[in-house]
Order: sequence, then structure tokens, then C-alpha cells
Amino acid sequence: MKRVLGAALYWLLRRPRAAEVVLPPRGAGTIAEFHDADALTEAVRAARAEGWTRFEAYAPHPVPDAAEAMGIHAAPVGWIAAGAGVAAMAGAYGLTMYLSVVDYPVNVGGRPPHAWPVYLPAAYIVGVLVAALAALLSMLWLNGLPRLHHPVFAARGFLRASEDRFFLWISPDDPMHTPEGAQRFLRSQAPLRVSEVPPS
Amino acid sequence: MSTDTPPPSTARVAEAALRPLGWGGWLGFALAGTGVVVLAIAVARLLWVGIGVWGNNIPHVWGFDLIAYAWWIGVANAASLFAAVLVLRRHGLRTAVNRFAEAAALAAVLAAALYPILHLGRPWLFYWTLPYPSTWGLWPQFGSTLVWDFWGISAHVLVTSMFWYVGLIPDLATLRDRAARRGRIGLARAYGLPALGWRGSVAHWHRHQAAYRMVAALVLPLLLSAQTVVALEFAVTVVADWHQARLPLHFIATGLPSGLGIVLALAVALRHGLSLREFVDRGDMDLLARLLAAAGIAALLAWMHEAGTALLQEDGTTRDAFLVRLAGPAWWIAVVMSGLLPQLFWWQKLRRDLIFVPIGLLAAAGVWLDRWSLVVDGVSRPRVPFPVTAYAPSGDEWALLLGSASFFAFALLCFGRFLPAVSMFETRHEESEQELEEEER
Repeated sequence: MKRVLGAALYWLLRRPRAAEVVLPPRGAGTIAEFHDADALTEAVRAARAEGWTRFEAYAPHPVPDAAEAMGIHAAPVGWIAAGAGVAAMAGAYGLTMYLSVVDYPVNVGGRPPHAWPVYLPAAYIVGVLVAALAALLSMLWLNGLPRLHHPVFAARGFLRASEDRFFLWISPDDPMHTPEGAQRFLRSQAPLRVSEVPPS
Repeated sequence: MSTDTPPPSTARVAEAALRPLGWGGWLGFALAGTGVVVLAIAVARLLWVGIGVWGNNIPHVWGFDLIAYAWWIGVANAASLFAAVLVLRRHGLRTAVNRFAEAAALAAVLAAALYPILHLGRPWLFYWTLPYPSTWGLWPQFGSTLVWDFWGISAHVLVTSMFWYVGLIPDLATLRDRAARRGRIGLARAYGLPALGWRGSVAHWHRHQAAYRMVAALVLPLLLSAQTVVALEFAVTVVADWHQARLPLHFIATGLPSGLGIVLALAVALRHGLSLREFVDRGDMDLLARLLAAAGIAALLAWMHEAGTALLQEDGTTRDAFLVRLAGPAWWIAVVMSGLLPQLFWWQKLRRDLIFVPIGLLAAAGVWLDRWSLVVDGVSRPRVPFPVTAYAPSGDEWALLLGSASFFAFALLCFGRFLPAVSMFETRHEESEQELEEEER
């Protein structure tokens, strides 16, 4: 029991995996800062074309072109939400029906126990509620959020990524990554600035 | 396709949330806070003494409680309908007003949620409407509108807050980063926690937008059911004036001017109170005012339909009940204030901030009077074998109404004070899209 608890505690309290990878003296990757969304999109396309695989792009607003260039699809969010909604609707209806037909049928003025029209409003509402919950949660899950820290936050000037600047970060996990190689590639994309991300 | 300029600065919006509070803000907080205290006293008295502190009695089993409930739901509905449609249509107006339309909807639905619980009589047993395995082995009566109401309200509260929160996550991250840049680490942590570690990854944005539009789309069917469930509570009774299939439609259509009127008045408050004139500009206000006028037409049609079906049908009981309502002033004032008055906004000259506030608020008040006409005047011809006295709301009911309005104001002041009142990321996005379109031309 103690060992299980210890293992669980270790798992809960251990540092996030990405942070483990970037132990000093290795840096936390290389980052380039861009002026606008199109420069970022071009850089993402070039990174894919050159064979980089572990990189992330950051923008202060949605940039659908860049996301598509990275091969990201948003459809799973919709499918998960729709599936969860339909399942919840069926579940709510099924539960209502089971409880009032099988488990505890009550004769109210000779009305049939399976009075389906009156079961519909609650089933409909529960379906919508669960679909919305699933949309929010699946978005967070697919994005790997919530997350307490990410190495990229240590990058120089990165706080402007939520305001008016665009960034392309190449992870040190990328098999092609060497500080020099990443710097060379990023500089070829006409950025405002290229810098190494210090280990955090 | 190239955009040479960086996205426009939304620093002003963030500033409004981060700067110290002025005397006007303190006054607003003090007034609304006092009202919230009044609400707390009214609720405490109700819980301690019981429903008897209210003025309702047979046949007026419902009074201020159901009027206010139906009214607040209408406000919440119209405000979130407006916000959801803006998000789904990707309309330019959305950047300016959808965030606070969402906030207004959330505050209104919280105010609305107070009433059905309080009017239960024994509010602490509200969970009896939940199908939970109790020791008696009993289940709720699933055919009861009260059970639908439980799901309707809890879903309305949850989905409205999710709609608002999903859109807020990236803006919370902006506030976190701005606070961190100024070295205010405590504040940065306070914003950072609900921002969930958002770092603006393009991949995250892509899924975020999908989820945001998905929740916006899900708000629409929910709105339909929220007002419908309220209306069905009336329609399933055998009261002559209420027992009508047209009631759900009536509630939805006549609810529109209330929410839009309040959003319009709030937009004026934002423009002047938080100095956000360039984000909520003249074009936005014009469009919003004309929407209110259009909602007025929809409500007028609902009232014409109401009068037409009641007066033309052969059943004398229903006709009599409706004629009693026509004899009272509430119905007529509602038609004038919520239906006819907003029509003034079709005139360009009248679309001014000074006129928006009174007409917006009057439109909202008019809908309240329509609910009064339905709830109170609708049962004035009760056909019971004893003399009935007219309904007169007690001081406690007025305190509750005033208190819930103060609660609404207080919640909105908190939103305006601590959170960006205008969606910052959408403002950036929209303006970069606009530049794109101009270049393509």
C-alpha cells in the first residue's frame, strides 16, 4: 500500500516530461520571433518541407492556415462532442425509461408507464449539456491542457505571444535538432529575432 | 496574401481590466453590493419564515417569483442567442459585443436560477428532483415539469458558463502575460490558473476554435428548450389563459427585446464607463439598435397572435380570461414599451447613446410587464368558489426582485473589473482578416 501511494505521489509530483528532457546543459530548443501571421505560416510550411517534426507555432490569434500546414485537424473535437451528446441523450432517456417502467412503475390516472413524450425534454437537455461539456474537455485533452508549465515560457519575449507576436519553436526532442542547425533554418525564414530557449 | 502590419494592439482592453478602480467603479460596486446584501436578507427571511412572507395566495400561487424567473431566463436567452449567432456567423460585431453579451447571459441565468429553487417552499430539498438512489427507493416523477426545469436550468447555467469560459481562456492568458511583464506575479498566477497554461499554440487555437463554435452551436438548441420548459410549466396547468400550445413560442419571441435591450444599455455603459469606444463603435451600436427594433417586431407578432387566437376562438373561457388581461394596463404597456418603442431605432437620428439606455431598459421592463400580465392577470378569473383578493407583492418580494437585479449588476461589474470586456483575440483576428480582404480587392 505504501509503495503504491509512494508511486502515485511520485507520478503526481514529478516534473512534466518535457521539462525532464531539457535538463542543463542542453537548452530548451530554439525559437524565432515573427512580425505577422503570414511569415509564421510560411515558416511552418518550410519547416515541414525541410523535415522538422517536433516544432510548435504560437500566435496571439487563430491562424487556420498555419494549423493546416502543420497537419492539425479540429474535427475530432466535433466528433467527440457529437458522440458524447448522442450517448448522453440515449442514456438519459434509457435511465428515465428504466426507472419509470421497470424499477418503480407508478400508475398515475391509468396513464402508460412508458409515456415517451414527457421523457423527451430532459433527455434532449442532458444530451446538449453533455455535448457542450465534451467539446470543452476534449479540446483541453487533445491540447494537453491544463498544464502548469512549458519550457517555451522561458523564451525571450515570449510573453508577447499572447499579444502581438508570432513564434516558431523547435523542440530539442526533434531528431534533427542541434542548436546550430535549428538557428540556421530559423534565420533563413526572415524572423525578427532567433534565440535559444534557456532551460527553465 | 500578406499582412504587413502586426495585429492591432488590444492593450486598452487589457488595461481596463488591470488598472485601479476609479470613484465611479467604487460607487457602482457599493450600490450593487448593498443590493446583494438586501438579497441575502430577503433570502434568509424566506428560508427562516417560509413562503408566507410573499404576497401570493390562491389563486395567485405564482407571483413575483415566476415573473422574475421567466423574465431573467428571457434576458439570458436573448443575450446568449445574440452572442452565439455572432460567433457562428463570424460577424464583425462579435468582437465588440459577444463577450459581454455572454457575460450578461451568464449573470442573468444565475439570477434566474435563484427563483425556482427559492420558490420550492423547502429549497434545501431541491435535490429531490435528481434521480439519485435514495434510501426510500423512490425516483422523481419524470413526467413533471419540475424535473424538466431542474435539467433545463442546470444545463442552461453550465452551458452558458462554458460558452463564456471557453472564449475567455486565451484572453486570460493575455492578462496573465501582461501582469507577468509588469512583475505582478500574484496577479499573473490568479489569471494563469484559469488560463490553464494556454500558450497560444497554433494547433491549440485550431481545436479551440472548433470547440468554441461547437459550444456556440449547442447554445442554440438549449435556448429553445430553456424558454420552452418555462412556458410548458404554464401550459400544462388547467388555467384557461395558460393552457395553450402557443405559449413556448410566445415566451421565446417576447423574450428577445428584454435581452437585447439590456445588452444595448450595457454596451453604452462599456463605451463610456470603460472608455472602449473604438472597440464598441458606432456601427456596432447601430446594428444592435436595429436588432432590438427587429426583435420588437417579432414580439409584436407574438402579441398579435396571442390576441388573435384568444379573441377569435370559440371557447368562451379562454376568451374571457384574455379579455380580463386586456382590461389591465400591464399587457398594453408591455406592447408599447417592448414592441412599439424600439421601432424608433429604424430612424438613424434616434440611434444615439443617450436614447439607447432608456429605450433598451424600457424594452426590458416591458417584457417583465408581459410576464406580469400572464402570471398575475392571467388567473384573475380563477373560477373558484370563494371570493379572491387581488395579488399584491409584499416587501420581501420587492426586496428579492431588487436584490436579484443588484446581483446581476454586481456580477457584471466583477466581469468588467477583472476580465477583458471585449474579446481580445477575436479583435486581433478580425482586424487581420479585414486587412486581408482589403488587399485582395
